[in-house]
Amino acid sequence: MSPTSVAGTRTHCPYCSLQCGMTLERVGRALEVQPWPEFPANEGALCRKGWTATGLHGHRERLTTPLVRDRATGALRAAGWDEALDLVAGGLRAVQEAHGRDAVAVFGGGGLTNEKAYQLGKLARVALRTSQVDYNGRWCMSSAASAGNQAFGIDRGLPFPLADVEQADVVVLVGSNLAETMPPAARHLDRLRERGGRVVVVDPRRTPTADRADVFVQPVPGTDLPIALGLLHLLDAAGAVDEEYVATRTTGYDAVRRSVAAWWPERVERVSGVPAAQLRELADLLAGSERVMVLTARGAEQHSQGTATVLAWIDVALALGMPGKVGAGYGCLTGQGNGQGGREHGQKADQLPGYRMIDDPAARAHVAGVWGVDPDSLPGPGRSAYELLDTLGTDDGARALLVLGSNLVVSAPNATHVTERLAALDLLVVADIVMSETAALADVVLPVTQWAEETGTMTNLEGRVVLREQAVAPPEGVRSDLEVMAGLSERLGSPVPFSTDPAEVFAELGRASAGGRADYAGITYDRIRAGHGVFWPCPDTDHPGTPRLFADAFATPDGRARFVAVDHVGAAEQPDAAYPLHLTTGRVLAQYQSGAQTRRVRDLPDDGPFVELHPLLAERIGARDGEPVVVTTRRGELKAPARVVTTIRPDTVFVPFHWVGANRLTNDALDPSSRMPEFKACSCAVRA
Amino acid sequence: MTGPGTRERVVVVGAGMAAVRLAELLVAGGRHEVVLLGDEPHAPYNRILLSAVLEGTHDPAALAMRLPDGVDLRLGTRVVDVHRAEREVELADRSRVPYDRLVLATGSIPTLPPIRGLVRVDGRLDERVHAFRSLEDCRRLDAAVPGARRAVVVGGGLLGLQVARALAVRGLATEVVEGGEHLLRSQVGPAAGSVLARGLRRLGTNVYTGARAVRLVDEGPTCRLRLDNGHTLETDLVVLTAGGRPSTSLARRAGLEVRRGVVVDEHLRTSDERVSAIGDCAQRGDRTTGFVPPAWEQAGVLARHLRGEDATYDGSRVVARLRATDLDVAVLGDPTTAEGEVVEVTNPVVGSHRRLVVRGGRIVAGTLVGDLSRIGLITQHYDRGTVLGPTEPGHLLMPDRVTAAEPAVLPDDAEVCSCAGVSAGAVRACASLDEVRATTRATTGCGGCSDAVRQLLRTRTTQLEGTPR
Repeated sequence: MSPTSVAGTRTHCPYCSLQCGMTLERVGRALEVQPWPEFPANEGALCRKGWTATGLHGHRERLTTPLVRDRATGALRAAGWDEALDLVAGGLRAVQEAHGRDAVAVFGGGGLTNEKAYQLGKLARVALRTSQVDYNGRWCMSSAASAGNQAFGIDRGLPFPLADVEQADVVVLVGSNLAETMPPAARHLDRLRERGGRVVVVDPRRTPTADRADVFVQPVPGTDLPIALGLLHLLDAAGAVDEEYVATRTTGYDAVRRSVAAWWPERVERVSGVPAAQLRELADLLAGSERVMVLTARGAEQHSQGTATVLAWIDVALALGMPGKVGAGYGCLTGQGNGQGGREHGQKADQLPGYRMIDDPAARAHVAGVWGVDPDSLPGPGRSAYELLDTLGTDDGARALLVLGSNLVVSAPNATHVTERLAALDLLVVADIVMSETAALADVVLPVTQWAEETGTMTNLEGRVVLREQAVAPPEGVRSDLEVMAGLSERLGSPVPFSTDPAEVFAELGRASAGGRADYAGITYDRIRAGHGVFWPCPDTDHPGTPRLFADAFATPDGRARFVAVDHVGAAEQPDAAYPLHLTTGRVLAQYQSGAQTRRVRDLPDDGPFVELHPLLAERIGARDGEPVVVTTRRGELKAPARVVTTIRPDTVFVPFHWVGANRLTNDALDPSSRMPEFKACSCAVRA
Repeated sequence: MTGPGTRERVVVVGAGMAAVRLAELLVAGGRHEVVLLGDEPHAPYNRILLSAVLEGTHDPAALAMRLPDGVDLRLGTRVVDVHRAEREVELADRSRVPYDRLVLATGSIPTLPPIRGLVRVDGRLDERVHAFRSLEDCRRLDAAVPGARRAVVVGGGLLGLQVARALAVRGLATEVVEGGEHLLRSQVGPAAGSVLARGLRRLGTNVYTGARAVRLVDEGPTCRLRLDNGHTLETDLVVLTAGGRPSTSLARRAGLEVRRGVVVDEHLRTSDERVSAIGDCAQRGDRTTGFVPPAWEQAGVLARHLRGEDATYDGSRVVARLRATDLDVAVLGDPTTAEGEVVEVTNPVVGSHRRLVVRGGRIVAGTLVGDLSRIGLITQHYDRGTVLGPTEPGHLLMPDRVTAAEPAVLPDDAEVCSCAGVSAGAVRACASLDEVRATTRATTGCGGCSDAVRQLLRTRTTQLEGTPR
């Protein structure tokens, strides 16, 4: 293996938001992953998902021809592209003519490139003129997005390069298992500890990430919020609040101070199951540290009070005077590959490109100008992801759905119900690379190009726009998502053309985003190629991009960050006699999201789902390691082998969500602000 | 209810923790006009943290509680009478405040123990004697600490122990006098009490149990407190924490039913349906409470009731926690009277005593002294009424299982690198770190296995060298 190979194609991993740099080389007919040591986020490191990323290249399960459901047999049969696209366009039109424009909905994904996400939003607003467009990123980091907008006036997951972690004195990871979900990122933690810094992990499970921590806090699922309130209480009581920073760079602290007077440590202990003494130690550690960095992830965010939870942790960072300081502050560790960029360019129900709000007349005018349409022709805000799915096939909801880059049957909460809603549609169209569980339900399946067969940009968790270059030709018979959208827009009689060239689409995206909060106007493919990506905002080609935000001001009208006072309500569903345990869900190292890709990669172990539980609980119910147990909630049931481990709270069970089943259990209660479903906490029963 | 468009006016007598909570909930509901009448001059504060202020771990400014906009808060306002027929309360200045609904949240008042010499001829407390109930009491005591060397705390309950620890942390030679046979006698049994007393003594605080203070003699620079067991304690300060009782005089004068506290039904209504009572002053069934969580639960129930929703109060699960440095105590429910099977572990050597009362698999009461390592789980089981297996209560009182030391030699099939899924055997098959990286990709992910891989390569070399050729 040559560590500094330049012969291949530089690109980025197809999976998580770290977007590890890698080089792809052709070796005969095979495509091999090689390191790209200079790319800063991962410095040549990759986890096994990255090393085996080419496992879907030339895979036998790859879809290479459009499929349409045969009326007579009810089975899918091969069809030509024209037939399939005519069928789709005709079906969408018929539904709109019968039931109105909003009867067609579009569902995207956080794994789509910026170009596709942008084009999908444009397809919805211009070609279909439906307000009903949203995406699975709503189930990823939307709570952190909502909190970031409220507190800082901007939503960029990390407002600093990831490597800044190494400069912190204390990093607090709230609900992040990055050692398993984005392993190369853990190297930054190790370097921090080599420098003498400390790592704090807050998680109901002692994960491999927690094994690297100096302080491990193990709360009841759904109680990260009161822990933050308790810390604020103690910091205030100890006089550890940075009063000068609070006075000059923030507003709203007084209300927070008064509200946390009610959150003394013993009350937090009662609610969260975290001993008061440990909370005091943690507060002392934070109070005595020069640079504190708080990072949240899905564990803190995927709750019906996810936004409030993130706001409370932002309050902690602000009270300590951290945001804006190098090696300190607050950040969200985005999950999906393009979780960041995917939410900036218009596939979100309430937004237009550049993170513009769709109900803002100036934003509508600008974007409509770039698109060459009348601003008044653009629809208004539509439903959020879960609400969109929840109403499918009802009088009020959409009757036709176009899905790109999402496997809803596996990844949606309360999945049995969502699957029923999909079945109630007049027309379900799914574009995918393999026959995912969702594609299998579709009336029309469109086979599309995958990573390495196409070019496009992603925006990683740092707000760094990176370029995935095409390395191989796609198989015969597939089309890119951009080609699919162009084909549909033409058939739908779109007033403006849709380009199929990624570079052209990116340039158009740049113009549409110009002047918006997420301004890409100055970013070009060549600039990305010349360096290691470009951080937005980057308003013009002379602008160097913005690796670090907030040094002098926040993105609010007055330049100050906002403290927001929040209170703890708790998970929507609390344990009771019938369902006495907490259920939480998450990922394992060797799989990714709904597993549509990784479960098909031969070199990645696929052991199926399992149920993690503590020996005390196992003994109570008579469960044995490796033998099946049944988890039930008010919504569904899952049978899977028990994994008896001492690393989980005895009142909590854990199930990974990469397989069908876990999300039949989860609760669809939504956060009032982000509309995030409560994936991470509901009540359940377990029997052997 | 009043007519549409007008909001019902709820007048709350008291501005303590129960009152503030109720005000918050009613304002959030948007259907009531809320008036709080507080007799203290301070804006509402968190009373239960006063001992932490005394100890010096809490900035007094951090006690201020949030009161939502729109609450009519009147401080330094003493209510002297309730005119139920006119639906008005009368203040000390003879002015009147009308109400649609009246809520008594008058709390409790400290009781003075029968000690001669406590009260001076002019009817005021001797200046060396302190109560500890209000922010004003706390300030006065705080100001007296720098000039004092010794202190006696009368009362060995939760508050007494918190104050005693606070004074000791502040550097005073502190003694505790408890009339009962052991400390915390209304919460725990004698075994826990004696473990606690030993713990306190170890921290340098003398404890006298089964002893009543009977006489205070002020001798100018110092004073002497005589006990009924013959001891006389010289001291500079005396703090009275022995007991409080529900503040009921207003209710009594208004002709409401009062026993120990103001009697309320499951909707927190007194004998007058327009008058409710919550918090320390209220009595439901035969119980009064002295804790914040049940008071807040009552506030929640009353707020919903006043909004016309169906809500009832049937008594709360109480977890009493001592807040004092180096003194760890938690009491769940009432472990002295709860019926059930008892699982108990006492270790006087380290000063711990833990006792769970279990009925039908559920923890119905408990005492944890000196070791709170499992409190985060035990209180969850208690609060949620979890039905435990037969061996679980015992396990809950044992220390966390110590993880077995890793075997000296990793078996070949043990996974060393989870990022790349590499076993110890696969690493052993390599000659160098470079080879490991190139052929197995171990260490190329999160980097967490680097040490283990190096170790395996080192032992491999030793084994090879040690093998006769």
